[in-house]
Amino acid sequence: MSAEAADQQVKLVSSDNVEILTERKVAERSMLIKNMIEDLGAPGEEPIPIMNVSEAVLRKVLEWCTHHKNDPAPTQDDDADSRKKTTDIDDWDQKFMQVDQEMLFEIILAANYMDIKALLDVGCKTVANMIKGKSPEEIRKTFNIQNDFTPEEEEQIRRENEWAEDR
Amino acid sequence: MSRPGRQLQRLSSDSSSSSSSTSPERGVDDDNDSFMLQANDSQSSLGIEVDQEPSHDVAARLAYEERCRVSPVARLPAELLISIFARLSASSDLMSCMLVSKEWARNSVGFLWHRPAMSKWESIQSVVKSIRRADKFFAYQDLVKRLNMSTLAAQVGDGCLMGMVECKRVERLTLTNCTKLTDTSLRPLIDGNRSLLALDVTGLDQVTDVTMMAVADNCLRLQGLNVTSCKKITDASISAVAKSCRHVKRLKFNNCSQLTDKAIMTVAAHSSHLLEIDLHALLNIESPAITALLTSCPHLREVRLAHCTRINDFAFLDIPSNPEAPFTLDALRILDLTDCNELGDKGVEKIIETCPRLRNLILAKCRHITDRAVLAITKLGKNLHYIHLGHCQRITDLSVEALARSCNRIRYIDLACCSNLTDVSITKLASLPKLKRIGLVKCAGITDASIYSLAMGEVKNGKRVNGASVLERGIRVLLTNCLKLTHLSLTGVQAFLRDDLLAFCREAPSEFNDHQRDVFCVFSGTGVGRLREHLKNEKAAQVIGDTDSVTPSMGDRIDDDLGLDGDGDDENTGVDSDGSNTPVISLDVHGSHRDGQTPILHGPSSGSNSGVLFAAGQHHHGYQYQPHLYPWTSSAHAGPSDPSGAAANFSQSAPASTSFMPYTFWSHGSNHGGVGSSSQAPQSVYHDPSHGMGAMDVPAGNGGQGGGAQHVTGMMSAAVLDDVDEGDEAFGEGSEIID
Repeated sequence: MSAEAADQQVKLVSSDNVEILTERKVAERSMLIKNMIEDLGAPGEEPIPIMNVSEAVLRKVLEWCTHHKNDPAPTQDDDADSRKKTTDIDDWDQKFMQVDQEMLFEIILAANYMDIKALLDVGCKTVANMIKGKSPEEIRKTFNIQNDFTPEEEEQIRRENEWAEDR
Repeated sequence: MSRPGRQLQRLSSDSSSSSSSTSPERGVDDDNDSFMLQANDSQSSLGIEVDQEPSHDVAARLAYEERCRVSPVARLPAELLISIFARLSASSDLMSCMLVSKEWARNSVGFLWHRPAMSKWESIQSVVKSIRRADKFFAYQDLVKRLNMSTLAAQVGDGCLMGMVECKRVERLTLTNCTKLTDTSLRPLIDGNRSLLALDVTGLDQVTDVTMMAVADNCLRLQGLNVTSCKKITDASISAVAKSCRHVKRLKFNNCSQLTDKAIMTVAAHSSHLLEIDLHALLNIESPAITALLTSCPHLREVRLAHCTRINDFAFLDIPSNPEAPFTLDALRILDLTDCNELGDKGVEKIIETCPRLRNLILAKCRHITDRAVLAITKLGKNLHYIHLGHCQRITDLSVEALARSCNRIRYIDLACCSNLTDVSITKLASLPKLKRIGLVKCAGITDASIYSLAMGEVKNGKRVNGASVLERGIRVLLTNCLKLTHLSLTGVQAFLRDDLLAFCREAPSEFNDHQRDVFCVFSGTGVGRLREHLKNEKAAQVIGDTDSVTPSMGDRIDDDLGLDGDGDDENTGVDSDGSNTPVISLDVHGSHRDGQTPILHGPSSGSNSGVLFAAGQHHHGYQYQPHLYPWTSSAHAGPSDPSGAAANFSQSAPASTSFMPYTFWSHGSNHGGVGSSSQAPQSVYHDPSHGMGAMDVPAGNGGQGGGAQHVTGMMSAAVLDDVDEGDEAFGEGSEIID
């Protein structure tokens, strides 16, 4: 992308029909948008609809993209790394992810939909960190999940997987 | 509206390239899969919220909205939940997830069962019990993708494996050294498995063609096969496997002594994706099979032919040669020809012509080669990192000098027993900027006296520098220039058996007998630095009170009765006796003797790089090539002297030998003798399987192989280990070829 192209503005439209103007470079952290711009051919002219993402979430995602707009493109190695089970998150991202659960999962869904791998990664790690070290009951409480097992079923699962406990 | 969906689909298909992501069902089986699914699931998330939700079912929609309001995590489609669970490594966490709710259980169970715990007998029993239950909650047998029973190897019998017979979707089956296993359980386990990618039955010497035919009939996706030491296997089944498993990339047939050219020719004809092959000690193999392999498998990265004693120059000379469009194996990085003693200069010349990007070349014990071959090798230039010319006794300073000049990225060079070499070579080699290890064991040119002067050099007085000692200058250069040097093995070199110097020496391993202890002399890690420091101080002292007569008597004691060939004790002391009397045993010591090396000062050798120098007395004795069990070896790796990374790097530094053959181990003594991987018997069944051990990496591990000079791809290991930090293009590129 030429310097000129990098400075270009693109117009995004959220699911609730709000137009957001942003730098092309920022928007192109999203592979979805990047590909659309390439396909459309004339960036900046036509607004780009982001069907599944509301204004609030889109702004939040773009905040992340702005902070990370100069990150190097992910390499093969990074891909391999992200598959590793590390849940380390850098400080800025950690702060960024300090939002209520509704927003947290909306961000994950948006990152997934907009194909922003690094953001999706941060989101998944954040949730994984919320799970780590907790008992099933604590996890249910954290995420407000209803236990739909019967006591018998719960006991059966426990028994069938007992080998996993001391690993 | 449909546009984003289509594009995402395109993206996700782009990313679906991993060879290990294979299971057709959901993403639970493999990290790769779940990774891919992150892209895929965008479809479904789209669907759930917008497109496909049946508008007539308003009630359901409201219920869903309500559920999401109460519990926002419910918004996540299964695929995203899975990619979150993929970040959990502790099975206790996964276990907790399983008990949260049915939805969570469904999406986490695959991770838990992906690779069931098999390290304890109780775990195996518990796993088998769950699999065999009639009314189990999940179909656990279909979730098992990796089965590794090698931890309990010797205890695992057919009965135990039969418990897993329902697991038909196993992709990686590792049964290394489960020696009790036979066709009785293996055949039914493999029968019906269409998913198998990698099979390791190393050391299962009861396994026959029956099992291998089952592999050929069922496992059409097989990519890696290790049948090391399955001596009952014949050409018939290997040919069948080659014909039906067309995606094979890595093959290890080590010590499958019945195999002949027929099997290898069939492999060559059908395995166009082959990356690595190890034919260690297949004594029936002749040149035409090798020609066929090299000619028909253009992607080969690693070819190991150690002890294929019947192959000769024609294996390479018969590779078609067309000056217009030269045939080259550009991917080939590692070629091990240890003990292919029919090989001559012409063969080597053709090798270099055909494989211009060789990185590791092992010609140990190719006794016929001369300077002419080494001069050809210089054409590899900076590609060459690792060269073993031990026992190539005909080579001289002429070619070694040229080698050092042209191939300035050499990290490792072994010239053991190259008795024509002198000071000239050593001086030249000392200038190699990346040199980490140099093997000079039994280089006759290096006399005890000169080793002594190596260290003491100028210490005595200025006179000797010009004079008598052949190697004095060279060695001094080594010591002062090679600041990376962190390992100095001088066992058996009388000059160093002095109390003041031995103060810096490691302790001899406890396994050594008195005699072995007497000659033991190894400086490593901080010991080298302290020795250097000591010698420097001594020099200062000497300058003051110039004592001209300090030259100790050398060589008197190191004589035949020291049994440098180790013959005497082998039988008695069993596994670890051989190397112990040779001037090189030293290696084995590292690791277990950290006590002596309190981190005082690192001396000039501190830093993250390490290097090793092996030198020993000039005594030539019969070479002893015997397999050994070195019970202390594992610990040796764990604790090399250089704390800055030698240990960490060790796992990558299995250069010369078959990196993933934990069972095979070579005599240390012979390593030092520069023999390379000299013994083929896969004896060390108890050897820690996590360390691929081989001839030359033994000293490497001990001394601490700094920046990872060697590159070896283990068959089952993910393609490539490389010294990324050096910025070299390396194996990585090779790995892209197929993967």
